[in-house]
Amino acid sequence: MNTGDSKSDAPDWRKAYGLALSLFAVEVVLLYLFTIRFS
Amino acid sequence: MNRLDYLVLIATILAIPLYGLWRTRGSASLGQYLKGDTSIRWATIGLSVLATQAGPITFLSMPGQAYESGIGFVQNYFGQPLALIVVCAVFVPIYQRLKVYTAYQYLGQRFDRKTELLGSFLFLVQRGIAAGITIYAPAIVLSALLGWRLNLTIWLAGGLVIIYTVVGGTKIVSITQRYQMIVILVGMAIAFAVAVYRISPNLSFGSTLSVAGKMGKLEAVDFSIDPHKRYTFWSGLIGGFFLALSYFGADQSQVQRYLAGGSLKESRFGLLFNAAVKVPMQFSILLLGAIVFMFYQFEKPPVYFNEPAYQRAMKTGYAPQLAALQAQSDEVFAQKRAAIRAISSAPPNSSSGDHNIAMTRLRDLEAQARELRNHTKRVLEQAGADPKSKESDYVFITFILQQMPHGIVGLLIAVILCATMSATAATLNALGSTTAIDFYRPFIPNASDHHYVVAAKALTAAWGLIAIGVASFASLVENLIEAGNILGSVFYGSVLGLFLAAFFIRRVRGTAVFVAALLAQALVFILFATTNIGYLWYNFIGCAAVLILAPVFQQTLFRSTDAPVRV
Repeated sequence: MNTGDSKSDAPDWRKAYGLALSLFAVEVVLLYLFTIRFS
Repeated sequence: MNRLDYLVLIATILAIPLYGLWRTRGSASLGQYLKGDTSIRWATIGLSVLATQAGPITFLSMPGQAYESGIGFVQNYFGQPLALIVVCAVFVPIYQRLKVYTAYQYLGQRFDRKTELLGSFLFLVQRGIAAGITIYAPAIVLSALLGWRLNLTIWLAGGLVIIYTVVGGTKIVSITQRYQMIVILVGMAIAFAVAVYRISPNLSFGSTLSVAGKMGKLEAVDFSIDPHKRYTFWSGLIGGFFLALSYFGADQSQVQRYLAGGSLKESRFGLLFNAAVKVPMQFSILLLGAIVFMFYQFEKPPVYFNEPAYQRAMKTGYAPQLAALQAQSDEVFAQKRAAIRAISSAPPNSSSGDHNIAMTRLRDLEAQARELRNHTKRVLEQAGADPKSKESDYVFITFILQQMPHGIVGLLIAVILCATMSATAATLNALGSTTAIDFYRPFIPNASDHHYVVAAKALTAAWGLIAIGVASFASLVENLIEAGNILGSVFYGSVLGLFLAAFFIRRVRGTAVFVAALLAQALVFILFATTNIGYLWYNFIGCAAVLILAPVFQQTLFRSTDAPVRV
């Protein structure tokens, strides 16, 4: 499947997705800690 | 509401569309009308996507949801960041490369006309109804509490949206959504600050959270695997992923937003912005609801938040019964307030035994208060005074009208109307475009560009009138926020299955996937009618059914039929 990315762009986008994923993981961990702290 | 409030309200809701009309003056080609132009940057796309999803229901119902059941609803958004990454990596590049106007054109290119029309049709049915709910939801609450006429409220909100969406197309939707979303975020931040300030004479912010947590309002994450629980980490992550994937990948009202810039980079940045901010934003709105709950532990709440319904019942023979319930409610309120004060003022080193006894007492009182509200609701139903909407939808707006300073009240009503207008504009824009491109143009194939622009405008206006018609005759089955999500979940799974089959199962052709999608949709309807599983799972079930049935049908029933894959 051709996703339309040029070869030079692809690694940058993979990094961007990794960053977004990491941020989401941090958000879930913080919410879990919030739940433990206040429940 | 006083004159200042009306001034702020009218200025806010009129200024943004007028600015949008000025920015989009002049004629547009079909491409510009349906897809905007390259001047639209990622920040506008990001806010536009955020505004399209949020809608008035988010700001009216969600704080009430937290007031009633706590902040666990935030888990419904856990699948969204993952889904947005998949949309960025897979869906957007394909749409940009094929230069489609609607997502369903891709189905036509990959499979055949009937599959394009099926995806398009399911979208039109679902979104046509949803647009009506989007207009009706705030109108019923605002008209009840502010004394505005319901039909007038529906026509004012809906009529203004129809005018500017028809005139300006996709570009005006993006521009207005950007500023409407800024107003919304500023308004909600002010509401949060005022709520914390209003509770501060009784409790510090830390103590507020501490007591709210002990009263079961702050359980944000629940790892339970019980499928009958509506909000868990797993249903949010898996069901929410499929809901968000189909919403952002296959719902034209969103696809049109992120294709508006015309550049792959701007579209992706706009979507990744949403991946980053969505969960914190929803958490903040729910937390605001929990703080409003705590506020009403010190300030006596109405025994029933839908005051107009309560007042209607008081004029019937049920007044003595309601007065008795009010007296009991006042008594429970006073005991609860005393219990919370005792708990929050106890020294940190007080014995845990005393603390536990006090907390058990507080929970008992809260259960009594809840039972009294339920009892009041039943009496209102017997009196024939209770509308079908849920009481919790009236919590936040009651707090705004009774506790916020003048000027801010006007701004927050404007927030709700801005949210209504932005979500409705995006939906009407998408409904008009889809009907024009997928249904109208194939039947009138060689007309001029101008002809199709006029047709798209006329169809957008027609969908606006249909939405107003739905809003005028709507009666809600559950609370507002649930109605929208349930409707989406019932239809989205099979549509997503069509797209995922198109992307990832190369050997599947049109007829097999078409029949699979019809059967998957029937299966979801049957499950919806006969079971009570959490509605987010319908997204997964509908999608999985298409992905399983389509290859099986291709290998058995439709082995020798259909043209080869074209995309």
